[in-house]
Amino acid sequence: MSLKLLFKDELKGFYKSNVMMFLWIGLPLVVMLFHILTPNTGDIPFSIMTALVVSTLGGTLAAIMLAVSIINEKEEHVYTLFVVRPIKRKHLLLSKFLAVYTCLAIATVLALMLGLALDYFLGSLPPEGLLSDTLFEFALALSMIAVSSAVGVFIGVVSPSVLVGVILVIYVGNQLSALPMLSISMELSISPLLPQVLGFFGLSTPSMFLWVTEIPGSIRFTFFVGMVLVVILLAASIAIFHRKEL
Amino acid sequence: MEKTKSMRLPSVSEKEPNYNNSSLVILDKISKSYRGYKVLNSVSFHIDKGDVMGYIGPNGAGKTTTIRILVGLLRKFEGRLQIKGIPVPARIEELNGMIGYLPQHVSFQRWRTVDHALKTFGRLSGLDEDILEERIRKVLNQVHLSDVRHKKIVHLSGGMIQILGLAQAILHNPKFLVLDEPMAGLDPENRYKVKQIIRELNRNGTTVLFSSHILSDVQDITTKIAVLNRGQIMHIGSMDTLRTKLHSTNDIDIVLSGKFKQTQDLTKIAGVKGVEYPQPNKLLIHLEDQVNLDEVSRDIQRLLMADGYSIRSFTPYVPNLEELYIRFINGGGNQ
Ligand SMILES: Nc1ncnc2c1ncn2[C@@H]1O[C@H](COP(=O)(O)OP(=O)(O)OP(=O)(O)O)[C@@H](O)[C@H]1O
Ligand SMILES: [Mg+2]
Repeated sequence: MSLKLLFKDELKGFYKSNVMMFLWIGLPLVVMLFHILTPNTGDIPFSIMTALVVSTLGGTLAAIMLAVSIINEKEEHVYTLFVVRPIKRKHLLLSKFLAVYTCLAIATVLALMLGLALDYFLGSLPPEGLLSDTLFEFALALSMIAVSSAVGVFIGVVSPSVLVGVILVIYVGNQLSALPMLSISMELSISPLLPQVLGFFGLSTPSMFLWVTEIPGSIRFTFFVGMVLVVILLAASIAIFHRKEL
Repeated sequence: MEKTKSMRLPSVSEKEPNYNNSSLVILDKISKSYRGYKVLNSVSFHIDKGDVMGYIGPNGAGKTTTIRILVGLLRKFEGRLQIKGIPVPARIEELNGMIGYLPQHVSFQRWRTVDHALKTFGRLSGLDEDILEERIRKVLNQVHLSDVRHKKIVHLSGGMIQILGLAQAILHNPKFLVLDEPMAGLDPENRYKVKQIIRELNRNGTTVLFSSHILSDVQDITTKIAVLNRGQIMHIGSMDTLRTKLHSTNDIDIVLSGKFKQTQDLTKIAGVKGVEYPQPNKLLIHLEDQVNLDEVSRDIQRLLMADGYSIRSFTPYVPNLEELYIRFINGGGNQ
């Protein structure tokens, strides 16, 4: 109950903030420029490069926004009025994480879709592997942003000051959020994993899950690495926040 | 003011609190240290249902620390604390809905409006949606903030934010209200208003604890006061008992028309314990506990006049409450 309420509140707080304004307008702008200028991205597919640029930019901003917001609110003792009420402390962090992630995910997806539309109108659609490329592009961007946001929460909880927080986000945050990218360089093929696992228990894959096996391994790997990192970072943040005297 | 050894000092009362069924809050030998530095030293007192308790002490005495322990924000301390028979902080969640708390430095998220903040806090405190609106309207009316209901909190003045802090504390009709210096930084009108609100809530059954450094702030609304100094309780009881304890009329204030040259040793007069010289033409004479005021007065006047001084005024010295309190605190610290 308190999570839903706080989430709605935080969403209200974030979506109108200056940084978000920049994202709503800035990200599509970057994508447009990128597509119009069509830089030579070497071995890396163009769509992945776009996703990387968008999510690095968006992710860094999300992380900074979350970290700064948490550090400031900690310093101003804003949380005291919350924690003396019957709520769970972890909801304070989760609501922030979810709010920023939601805003950013929407901005990112919109920006990437704009890129696709541009490609379509400029007639530069790559003929083969379009679906998997596009899916991968989205998966990569959304995973990286999720990790960045979780990094932002973690740094917000542990940093003693805004300055330290921002430095940590820039130097540590970006490294961590790049981890889901590993799948690009790794030739991973784990697509048939699900039927194998289920088969091991004598089960067959329910048809509604069949689509999962169709998804290329790299996408699932990206999601997997992203999820694991997010869970670890948020769990650690919550544990530390719980012990803090606010 | 310079302190003299001759001052009669009240003794520290280390009464064991007597708990009874009507005790809403029981603090039993609460101690708290920060890195080996003891901030609270075996603080014990109890607050009965219906009390308005003033928690008085100078800067750094440990008032905020005690209060933060009371509302469950500080969870590491020694001693035993119970509210409504429920141990704190172990089972504080069971109490969260019945406590209203105004921190010493209240602050709100920057982007919230008054209305938005109160709605969120009301909901989090468990107020039903159908009474929330009405309740907010009523409370804002009570604290005279209705005009700024849709303003952003960052655009309010410091005093207004403080009052809004009070509003969020009383919004959910708490049974126990804890206010950390609710009147600090407020203008006289608002101080009066806060007192009125405390009185009104108390009449409707709310038990209140509030801290202050200023004795005069609490004197007309408290049923009981606790005086804290350097982490130790120095007095618990009614304002009157403290006043009696503090009050000493055994001082005489003398103003001469010229400078006093200290040619005479006034302490050789029977009954005079010590002399202070607050100003060149002023004497403050401290008398023994059991003296005949008329006789000593006559002797002092005689001696001064024999030396050629002319006396402009000669009055038994009655320090104001604040002065007595400061003496009490300073004296207690030395004991
Ligand atoms: N987090 C902390 N770490 C170290 N020392 C602390 C901490 N919080 C409080 N103290 C110390 O504890 C003592 C009591 O502080 P407290 O805030 O309880 O005093 P107070 O009576 O509320 O004072 P004031 O009237 O100025 O608000 C002070 O000496 C203060 O320095
Ligand atoms: Mg204080």
